[in-house]
Amino acid sequence: MKTEHLYSRRFFLKTAAAFTALAALPSTVKAFYQEVKNFIVPAKQTLPLVVTINKKEYQLSADTRTTLLDLLRENLQLTGTKKGCDHGQCGACTVHVDGERVLSCLTLAAMLPGKKVTTIEGLAVGDKLHPMQQAFIECDGFQCGYCTPGQIMSAVACVKEGHTRSVAEIKEFMSGNLCRCGAYNGIVESIQKVAR
Amino acid sequence: MLFFEDQDSITTAAEGRVEGIAKVTGKGKYAAEYTVENVCYGALVGSTIAAGSIQAIDVTNAKQVKGVLDVLTHQNKPLVPGFADETKIKESRFGLPVFHTDKIFFKGQPIAIVVAETLEDATYAASLVEVTYTTEKFVVDFREAQASTPLSMAGKERGSMEAWSDAQNIVEAEYNIAAEVHNPMEMHATIAHWISQDKLKLYDKNQGVNNVQRTFARLFDIPTDNIEVISEFVGGGFGSGLRVWPHVLATILAARQVNRPVKLMLTRPQMFTAVGYRPQSWQKIKLAADKDGKFLGLLHQAQHSTSVYENFNEGITRIARLVYSIDNLKTESSIVPLNLSTPTWMRGPGDCTGDFAIESAIDELSYVLKKDPVELRMKNLSLEKSPDTGLPWSTNYINECIEKGAARIQWSERKALPGQVKEGDWNIGYGMAVGMWNAGRGNASAAIQMQKDGSLTVQTAMTDIGTGTGTAMQNIASEITGISKQKIKIELGNSTLPPAPSQGGSTGLSSISGAIVAVSKALKQKLADYASVQDEVYKNATTEDIILSESHLSFKTNGNHAIAYTSLWETHNLNVLEVEASSGPGEERQKYSFCSSAAHFCKVRVNSKTGKVKIDRMVCVADGGKIVNAQAAANQMSGAAIGGIGMTLMEEQKVDARVGGLIGNDFAGYHFAVNADAPLIEVDFIHKPDPNINPTGSKGLGEVGIIGCAAAIANAIYNATGKRLRDLPITPDKILLA
Repeated sequence: MKTEHLYSRRFFLKTAAAFTALAALPSTVKAFYQEVKNFIVPAKQTLPLVVTINKKEYQLSADTRTTLLDLLRENLQLTGTKKGCDHGQCGACTVHVDGERVLSCLTLAAMLPGKKVTTIEGLAVGDKLHPMQQAFIECDGFQCGYCTPGQIMSAVACVKEGHTRSVAEIKEFMSGNLCRCGAYNGIVESIQKVAR
Repeated sequence: MLFFEDQDSITTAAEGRVEGIAKVTGKGKYAAEYTVENVCYGALVGSTIAAGSIQAIDVTNAKQVKGVLDVLTHQNKPLVPGFADETKIKESRFGLPVFHTDKIFFKGQPIAIVVAETLEDATYAASLVEVTYTTEKFVVDFREAQASTPLSMAGKERGSMEAWSDAQNIVEAEYNIAAEVHNPMEMHATIAHWISQDKLKLYDKNQGVNNVQRTFARLFDIPTDNIEVISEFVGGGFGSGLRVWPHVLATILAARQVNRPVKLMLTRPQMFTAVGYRPQSWQKIKLAADKDGKFLGLLHQAQHSTSVYENFNEGITRIARLVYSIDNLKTESSIVPLNLSTPTWMRGPGDCTGDFAIESAIDELSYVLKKDPVELRMKNLSLEKSPDTGLPWSTNYINECIEKGAARIQWSERKALPGQVKEGDWNIGYGMAVGMWNAGRGNASAAIQMQKDGSLTVQTAMTDIGTGTGTAMQNIASEITGISKQKIKIELGNSTLPPAPSQGGSTGLSSISGAIVAVSKALKQKLADYASVQDEVYKNATTEDIILSESHLSFKTNGNHAIAYTSLWETHNLNVLEVEASSGPGEERQKYSFCSSAAHFCKVRVNSKTGKVKIDRMVCVADGGKIVNAQAAANQMSGAAIGGIGMTLMEEQKVDARVGGLIGNDFAGYHFAVNADAPLIEVDFIHKPDPNINPTGSKGLGEVGIIGCAAAIANAIYNATGKRLRDLPITPDKILLA
């Protein structure tokens, strides 16, 4: 794939040339204006992308700026993964990439080829809920439910990582997932239930 | 009444909430998640100055971005009839007339919306909108501006201030609380879709669809029914969704301009200026008691911030009139306009703030009197009647909350003098405080649709912001009709369904439960009416006489007289049986005062070297009347306590007085309690129904869960360290410097 660094030496030379030309040759303003504008407002770049999400392969063309989170929510209608801050500060967008918990808002879609993504939609097998999903229902590990998919994805990873030896340890390793309703009691209970 | 026979019979512990599966699988659709054909994206541009006016907006570069459809500003917006002139703008009471003014009232005020094919295009183009301003002097420093608005009476004075001027046991102190931001995890979002020139469909995050519907019907001068508002899943509110905010109107205008559905989700930094916050406040308390601990008088003064374009007053001193019997009481307040966005109700509005000051002062007074703070409170509670209205309480079990909480936390372990218990670098102490809230109720409607297979769909327009409204509806409908919960579907959060009030002020369950009881009874009555055509015994039958099973209705006494639904449906040529009913407050409101209450107890440890506070235990006992769903109610209480921990120890919206705006306006800069910041909260209830408030006897819990938490923690910090902290949040630096 062709890559071009915007702020290269050539950028300055070209820009300088364009401005010089603008000053010297008013008749050719339009032609050079377009050239300059492309540097002020860089054109959108897309790239072809093959990604595996919930065991399904997608062949896509994605904006290079698109995050995994926006790819899921806006392009693939997999809206189970939530946007709570878009800055890696809340954990609502947690998914699994190659089995590890990852913040999808801090992951560019362009980083995904060759990786396997699992979202909340891929956790249940058919109609059969994942034990962690079942536990969240039974222990009432949520109120509004918005942080819940991220909590569950983190909780599954937390158990897998073995960080469930005490309430304090669970709380520590689940503290990257904020819950403003404060359903932390139920979240901890759910994890204890599955870890047992 | 059926509900009161076995108080603990209704719980959904085994199967969880009615919307549980939708929430744990990610299938539940929140506002921004609906698939709408041909949708495009909006991105807001906020002002970069705090006061002044817009001189020019240059959208040339923004429009160069490929994919941009249009940029709306005050210069090219479609006109909103309700904003046609200054008078109409005022009458609309909308607050900020977005895109209908060139004036800037606060930094971050929406001044343009970019509409583009993709979110990335819109976001990038929004960064290219260039604005020049005429700047004016701004005021954002609350402390500095306080003197600008003198205090005035807030409610009637009781007794006199002179009567206790020579009191011996007196506490006088000032309290400051930082502004706090609701920050529900779902950022506010709207998809606006003009179906035709005068028909609008909104997928919107809010706490009351009918409120949103009415607001835009008025602004656009179109019939209310032409606007459909859908808010089936709401990712938290805490008060931020009780008003209709400018960004929703911006999205609607954008959709009109580009003639396509437009989706807008606020960014997290925008959430700090777009949807309100708990205002910054100052309070002064003067409280005195005689040597036995009987309160002699209370002076409560309060000020909080508002915006320069709207007067918002949350009533901080209201709580002074609610809990205790005090013969001499004076309350004064004022609001202080700042160049910040308008604050709004946030969980336990007013009372939560006022309670911190009063309950801290009572604790302080207990040390002056050398009396146990539990005992001191017990002595002064107004258990018979509301000290303000003089009406008898319908029910008030705040004393039982205190007793139960004290026993649970083992209050007897508390040392009477501060700083007595140490474990290494940690000082350990106990604290408590109470909270109370006027228990309101509104008019609500609900409908039931019954199929011949005996399944029900129960409907209301009310939202469920996570409180468990839907589950409570299912529980109540099942209890009254006898139909099993598995066969009861819930539909809510849509303005086409029977109208209901907004979900706020802890009135949600209290309002809707009456409607569900009424409609469930109406269903039984209607079935009996149809049955009477086939069997005489059903003539003049009351709802108490009828039993519904999965497939039949039958008569309680007089033999069985079972009639299959299929037979009824056939005889009367029914497709769906539909009933609707409303319920609301009545004359009981003239006879009684109503309150929910809670007592909060905690055990904290404070590190003498770092100033860190760790909460070892937190016990919350509430009087919420009849508890319809014990699990969801406990969840709400513990969640509110965790909100209280955030309020006390970390939440602070910082304002930079130099630039006139917010700093740290994201989750890196604004902290609320994470999982590790809170212990497992211990919750209990009094479990006594209120026989007058509504047919179920249940009172709201959302507010009392948080009211009192802050003082309980601050009081425990004093008991642990001997340091009295009167400014929230109590961060480690404040403890070390105290």
